[in-house]
Amino acid sequence: MKTDVLIIGNSAAGLSAAETIRKHDKTKSVTIVSSEGGNAYSRVLLPYILRGKLKEENVFIRDNNYYQSNDFDYIEGKVTSINNKEKNITIDNNYSVNYESLLIATGSSPIKPPIPGIDQDGVYHMWTKSDMEALIPHFQSGKRVAVIGSGFVSLQAAWAAVSKGLQVTVIELANRIMPSVIDNKGAEILSEKIRSFDVDLRTETMTNAIEKQPDGSFLIQLKGQEPVAADFVIVGTGVRPNTGFLAGSDITVDRGICVDEFMQTNVEGIYAAGDVAAGPTSFGDPHQIHALWPTAIEMGKFAALNMLGKKIPYEGSLNMNVTQMYDLTVASMGNFADESGDEVHLIPESQGMGYMKVCSREHRIVGACLVGKTSAMIIFGMLRPVIRQHKQVTVDYMNLERDLQKLTYGLMH
Amino acid sequence: MKTVTIDRDKCVGCRNCEMACAYARTQETCESSVSNIRVNHYIEQRTLMPMTCLHCEEAWCMSVCPAGAITRNADTQAVVIDANRCAGCKMCMLACPFGNIHFDNERQVSHKCDLCDGDPKCVGHCIAGALKYQEMNDLAAAKRSKYDQMVIATAH
Repeated sequence: MKTDVLIIGNSAAGLSAAETIRKHDKTKSVTIVSSEGGNAYSRVLLPYILRGKLKEENVFIRDNNYYQSNDFDYIEGKVTSINNKEKNITIDNNYSVNYESLLIATGSSPIKPPIPGIDQDGVYHMWTKSDMEALIPHFQSGKRVAVIGSGFVSLQAAWAAVSKGLQVTVIELANRIMPSVIDNKGAEILSEKIRSFDVDLRTETMTNAIEKQPDGSFLIQLKGQEPVAADFVIVGTGVRPNTGFLAGSDITVDRGICVDEFMQTNVEGIYAAGDVAAGPTSFGDPHQIHALWPTAIEMGKFAALNMLGKKIPYEGSLNMNVTQMYDLTVASMGNFADESGDEVHLIPESQGMGYMKVCSREHRIVGACLVGKTSAMIIFGMLRPVIRQHKQVTVDYMNLERDLQKLTYGLMH
Repeated sequence: MKTVTIDRDKCVGCRNCEMACAYARTQETCESSVSNIRVNHYIEQRTLMPMTCLHCEEAWCMSVCPAGAITRNADTQAVVIDANRCAGCKMCMLACPFGNIHFDNERQVSHKCDLCDGDPKCVGHCIAGALKYQEMNDLAAAKRSKYDQMVIATAH
């Protein structure tokens, strides 16, 4: 079999690329390979479905007709190797597909920390649709869940469990929650909120082992603390790019697949996008992995444009996160770390947005974070182009929304 | 496509558009805090600026929605949010560079202008002729002609 464009991956980056190709070119053959099979779904929605905010069938983000109506060929199977000299891939160690150009959008998988007992029934991740299907029967009021890790995914899982009336313990090795999403102060406020919903949130706590009891429940053995009892366990301690099948190819991997501003790897004609790719950022880093949905959408789009030979460079990804958690909006963008040495502008609580911090460097806004109210999201939306363009701006941080509107509508320069 | 166009020199700040929109959305309140159109005012610039969704050709809110809840209406070409599919994650609000997507805290879903299925109520209730529902191409032509007249006026 031979195809013009071969896309490995059926999520944000892969779909964005396939649709961009089709938008500009109606004739090229496009083949999508998915190891999970079935229609495309969105992992972002898993906690919302577990919480009961969305119906289970809403996990699918493209309908049954999607592949046919866009004239995409769809193969269910796992890519086991790539031969970049012959320009083909092998699926399920069984048959090969030749390509003209190739996009690797294989995403990432949860990291398994080296905890004894982590590989057994009743210990889950919350990453795939099958994870969700396995978890749904457990999400019943009164059950006890231990969540190991306190990143974005873990805390969303914990929130879903709280909403469903479960007893929740969160166990975090580090001294604070969500380091890649909010700053120290934000983490403090959110921790307090989480605890106010009766979540037993323990930081600086090391998990020694997950032990199954005769009745099928678990005891989580902790270093220097009494063990925690749970009916099931969710592990969310970060993800790593799916690059295993690249061994034996000439593609450069440094944690993720290194790509240039055209989303091309070191091998001509092979591109990468999404969680698996380490690409340029808005701040000039050459190879960074964001593993974020918006970055995957953008990377997929630019990979496709360049696979079509358009030579359009990507301006670089800007990290951005947002979610609702309990009655708070948690969001961040760009550089907001306490250690960065940037100028810090705190938006007064009296403006009704909760805790919001904006960071700048030489009159250029470089980032912001929020643990507060939805109304601040309008500001985040307007900040995005301002951060990306690295424009020097004179804004009054006490009247930030108004001044950003003026910038946006061209009333001020 | 046709869209709601804004002539900020004509807006008098009566906020009828906000109230009409709020009522069209909710069928029970004219409270402007639930409206999809918002009149912003800037005292120093002596300017009023009604803002509502521009239904961008490359709508980033639509591409970035992780729930597949934002689509383009085939009849009106409006970029619309399906409240039944919206997870309430607020990614669209982060994506909109104009601040034109709002949030319904009660239902926990985003909302934005859907052009009232081709009969935008804000336009119908604008007392100053500042809001119009017109072809975008005509708007470009109108802007050009306005600019030409300015040039002519300055030349004389």
